Amino acid sequence: MILIQAILVVGFGIFLFRVLANPASYKLKAWIKVLVALFVVLAIAAVIVPGVTNEIAEFVGVTRGADLLLYMLTMAFIFTIMNGYIQSKKTQEKITTLARRIAINEANLRDFDKQSSK
Amino acid sequence: MTKTASTQLHADTAIIIPVYNEAEMVGSVIKEIQTKFGNIICVNDGSKDASGKVIVDSGAVLVDHPINLGAGAATQTGIDYALQDPANKYFVTIDADGQHDINDAIRMLAHLKKNSLDIVFGSRFKGTVENISPIKQVFLKLAAVFSTRTTGIALTDPHIGLRVFNRNFAENLKLTLPDFTHASEVIHRVGEGNFKYDEVAASVTYSDYSKAKGQPMLNAINITIDLFFHRISKK
Repeated sequence: MILIQAILVVGFGIFLFRVLANPASYKLKAWIKVLVALFVVLAIAAVIVPGVTNEIAEFVGVTRGADLLLYMLTMAFIFTIMNGYIQSKKTQEKITTLARRIAINEANLRDFDKQSSK
Repeated sequence: MTKTASTQLHADTAIIIPVYNEAEMVGSVIKEIQTKFGNIICVNDGSKDASGKVIVDSGAVLVDHPINLGAGAATQTGIDYALQDPANKYFVTIDADGQHDINDAIRMLAHLKKNSLDIVFGSRFKGTVENISPIKQVFLKLAAVFSTRTTGIALTDPHIGLRVFNRNFAENLKLTLPDFTHASEVIHRVGEGNFKYDEVAASVTYSDYSKAKGQPMLNAINITIDLFFHRISKK
């Protein structure tokens, strides 16, 4: 095994361990965990047997394994961006609700003070 | 909620003004409205200038967003605040920069009551427009065509800030789009809830001040894209 293979395999292994061992991953849906695990196993396979990506690529009709990887990466990238966009919208909505509640409570309190000081 | 002496004027109506960095104008706008309406609610949307202090000094109610959330969010906050008081039967939204005439709002209110409508929109193209640039006029007309096409609600001026509506509409509005896109959201609600609507001529004065601050035309692109995504993510 050449050095780069060892580094990549160890890297992917640590990534998988960190994701699954992280207490926050409790909230992740089971099928997402399975997908991540599958992805890591495939990545390790691709690192150890470099020819395998070429074979998969030819099987789905792409000439080179590197091209296939590029397409998949692009898709993963777009998915990540979309996901981030949706998440940030959700967070924005929560912040709006929170800030609105604070603003209205403060106004009511000011109002109450004005009433009671009369 | 307080009822001060001045609230005798149109005691059943809440004026809602979203305010963002309008310290220069909002004081005189409030003063003008106070001659006709007693119940004025200003939502200061995290202004960086002295807008909040100007509002408090004017005697209007201040609802103070701790951070800037956008005109739509500020409008909804004002409505939520006003809905707390069951005495508020009618609601008016009006811009803080002085481009609208409060007498138009009074005519719109009368029109709404007389014909038992749910919402009345002001329209620049049914009234007199002063000092508007030809480009802006074309842009607004195009926006009207776009809005009619997508919502099925025929309005000549969908992006105006001056609107009058009843409590039923206010309770059902629930704006979720924080920014200027909220104008389109209001119209969507009209269609969804089969609310009765109409337009009344409203004069708009574009002072040099409001022209300098007006939303740049690039916003039209942002509005379109956002509406598109919002529609998709809802399905």
